Amino acid sequence: MREIIHSLTSAAWGFCVLTLAILMPALAQPANAAQPVKALTISSSGALLVLRDSGLLAIEGDTSTEIALPAIDQEAQATSLAKGADGNLYLAGPGLGVWRYDSSGESWQSLSDTLPNLGVTAMAAHATQPETLYAYLGNDGMFRSRDGGAEWVKVDSGPQETVQAFLHSDMPGSMESGWLFAGTTRGVSRSMDCFCFWGDAGDLRGTVSAIGYDPAAPENVYAVIEGQLHHSADGGETWTSLKTPKSVTALAFTPTQGLVVGTSNGNLLARGAADEWTPVHE
Amino acid sequence: MNKWVYSLALLAAPVLAGASGVLGSAHSAPTEFAQGRQIYEQYCAACHGWQGEGAANWKKPDEKGEMPPPPHDETGHTWRHSDAMLFKMIAEGWRYPFNKSDRLTMPAFEEQMTAQEIQSVIGYLKTLWTDEQREYQKTESQ
Repeated sequence: MREIIHSLTSAAWGFCVLTLAILMPALAQPANAAQPVKALTISSSGALLVLRDSGLLAIEGDTSTEIALPAIDQEAQATSLAKGADGNLYLAGPGLGVWRYDSSGESWQSLSDTLPNLGVTAMAAHATQPETLYAYLGNDGMFRSRDGGAEWVKVDSGPQETVQAFLHSDMPGSMESGWLFAGTTRGVSRSMDCFCFWGDAGDLRGTVSAIGYDPAAPENVYAVIEGQLHHSADGGETWTSLKTPKSVTALAFTPTQGLVVGTSNGNLLARGAADEWTPVHE
Repeated sequence: MNKWVYSLALLAAPVLAGASGVLGSAHSAPTEFAQGRQIYEQYCAACHGWQGEGAANWKKPDEKGEMPPPPHDETGHTWRHSDAMLFKMIAEGWRYPFNKSDRLTMPAFEEQMTAQEIQSVIGYLKTLWTDEQREYQKTESQ
């Protein structure tokens, strides 16, 4: 009888230990890590900036710091992050307009005074011109500011389809100073930054939720369609799918880790030299 | 409509200039317009159209994988470029980087045209745009 009780007790302890072993890593994760990553970018110091519904986090080495978001209406959504050519951080979204973060004062400044409304669904910062910003406002079209957001001017209607993600790149070959890539409900659309005309960048089709490029090799463009990451090595002419462990929701290039993606379950993954994905610890 | 008004204004420049002195030299505007138009017809019209209408389907690559010549009128994008950029493109030529061929689809004209002739043809192109486009291009040129 004693042996039976001892066996049962051992089995119960074993079960408890096993359960804890399974649950502990999940419990050790930050509470916000389970939320989808909405946007990624880097700071002027190279920190990875991670936007989730729970807030904005700066990850540098082993240190994570929360950056308080601007006080906004409940209906407003923060959906886009961009790093300016001068290292400034920009935040935008529907109902939010465009904001710039002042890191020295740890405060946000609204840049939406001359926008027709706050319905910014996508924004981008010029790759090399510090004061030049782009904002897409749905039916109102595309706006550009050349003075850091003080004055916005409508420059174009944009591609035929709604823009979900926006990118400026200093890829060579433009008549002006670079290229604009717009992730739309049809795929990736591309124009020189004179807004000369929007054309399909290859035949990638579907709703693009995130777009990015490698600043060190600008012909390398990345786009996410329904969680699937795609890569073009020729400026958007041809695309190949990249395997990822989870559904991708955001991407950015960091100076130290290269391509980093955020996933639908809140993970951050860096792509290694052998195309393997390793977790980025928060 | 606006482009015709602008063209007429250029042709009427001597009268207006004589009256107000606003439009500059009394004799230069119609001469420049005529010279610009003549140069355009000589070098540009065969590809970009006699009225600057460009090639059909100019936003999509042709069967050779090259982007066709765009319009220079208000339906194109010439008005989006500064004077300096337009001068450079005419003088040095241009190739859309995603063309399947390596040739300059927009040839370089610096051997055939003088700087003054290039400026003259740019002046003519401006008569093909709307007032708003001319204003936009003026800002881009600053």
